[in-house]
Amino acid sequence: MLNIEHLTVKYGVIPAVMDVSLRVEKGQIVTILGANGAGKTTTLKAIMGVLRPAGGRIYYQGMEVTAVSPVQRVRQGIALVPEGRGIFNRLTVEENLLLGAYCRPKNDAVKKDLEEVYTLFPRLAERKKQVAGTLSGGEQQMLALGRGLMSKPKLLLLDEPSLGLAPLIVRELYALITKIREQGVTILLVEQSAAVALGVADYAYVLESGNLKLSGKPEELKSLEDVKRIYLGG
Amino acid sequence: MFSWSYFLQQSMNGVILGCIYALLALGMTVVYGILRLINFAHGALITIGAFFVYFIFFRAGINLAASLFLVLGFGGLMGLLLDAVAYRKLRGGPEVALLITSLGFYTFVENFMKMVVSPQPYAFKTPASLAVMYRTSLLTFRSIDIFIIVSSLLIMLAFNLFVKRTRMGIAMRATAENLEVARFMGIEVNRVISLAFVLGSAIAAFTGFLWGAKYGQISYDMGFLTGVKAFVAVVVGGVGSIPGAMVGGFVLGLAEILSTAFLPTRFAEYRDGIVFGILILVLLLRPAGLMGVKEEVRV
Repeated sequence: MLNIEHLTVKYGVIPAVMDVSLRVEKGQIVTILGANGAGKTTTLKAIMGVLRPAGGRIYYQGMEVTAVSPVQRVRQGIALVPEGRGIFNRLTVEENLLLGAYCRPKNDAVKKDLEEVYTLFPRLAERKKQVAGTLSGGEQQMLALGRGLMSKPKLLLLDEPSLGLAPLIVRELYALITKIREQGVTILLVEQSAAVALGVADYAYVLESGNLKLSGKPEELKSLEDVKRIYLGG
Repeated sequence: MFSWSYFLQQSMNGVILGCIYALLALGMTVVYGILRLINFAHGALITIGAFFVYFIFFRAGINLAASLFLVLGFGGLMGLLLDAVAYRKLRGGPEVALLITSLGFYTFVENFMKMVVSPQPYAFKTPASLAVMYRTSLLTFRSIDIFIIVSSLLIMLAFNLFVKRTRMGIAMRATAENLEVARFMGIEVNRVISLAFVLGSAIAAFTGFLWGAKYGQISYDMGFLTGVKAFVAVVVGGVGSIPGAMVGGFVLGLAEILSTAFLPTRFAEYRDGIVFGILILVLLLRPAGLMGVKEEVRV
């Protein structure tokens, strides 16, 4: 589905990601773990095409997309749910959701997906005419997720979805993420809180200061003292 | 001293000036919202639009309706060029580079106009069809006054429908709020920005005509202070807010006219000072402007 080879991304001369390679297979939930500033968000932005890599290649569905514009990538089924949710506070819930479908022709399929999102997140249906800035943190994360789904993604990139949410909401959110995967969407999940992410992931990568440190199945990683020390705050 | 008729008359003048500020503020607030650019070049479009109509209507004799459509088109085209030539390459760089460019563009146009037209102001006769006088017991006005109010309200209404109802308009509001996330949605940000310049510039050029027809005089430097005041209207109303820009325009127009009308005559020449005084006062009381929302920190 997604194959990254030797990705390097720099901000000016400062490298944020160095020589990172990773794979995401269709239908999987893959997670990238790491502390603040490890290069997780940068990696996602490079996959989305809003940051130009200084080196390396990105393949999506067998095709190289390294130089493809973000718009094309959205059309080809990549969607990003950004860190801090990035919802448009001054727009209504429904306008936010429709912007998720911006790259799709406006037709009945979009309407149907809108209904599906409302079924998945009933709270959003109740508040569709409300300005998004008035939602609670958890509702905003649901909105961001729903908006991501509106582009009909094949690959969904989630950047720190649990950030700033109460544990109970996080559990609810992760149940939804699993449900989205069951509908056939492949998920690349970036998290700082390793414990929750490892709970749902099929495979995990660990970044530290822009370098790939470790990778493996969650059960392998969980047993490693290193991971605990660095990422589980042990 | 005080009479209702005088108050109404001056309020109408205030509303008219407010219409002009509001129209200008619309274009400025959208551009500011997206690029964080105080677009001084917006003022140049006022001058360009006024002289454009002067030459094609008074000198070349094209009829009024056609002249007005042409000035809208010409203004839009100038906005498109300005964006493509001067601003596009600077995006992503420091915001101050855009600011200086816009000031540079304004100064260039002002000097160019001074050289090509004249350093002297031109008399701009109100077109005959807009110079019809109406007298009622309370108000005396000309058809240009009605024309300004009606055309401004129509433009504002159309603009609001555009940003509320159309896909592109919603994308524009989204881009103004968060450019990076807009890009994640697959919005072609450059196209949205171009369109913002085209619409804003077309309206500004049209406003130049309104100004000339109402106040009877146009000059190479007419756009500067008017443009700056339009930006004051933006800030008073709440930066980035479209309804705010319109409210700010009317507040400013009314305050400027009514303060001149009701303060002793010797204060009249300080009306610009009064306008900026209002700005400072509003910002002290409501730092985000009358209708502003607290700005998200941009990452």
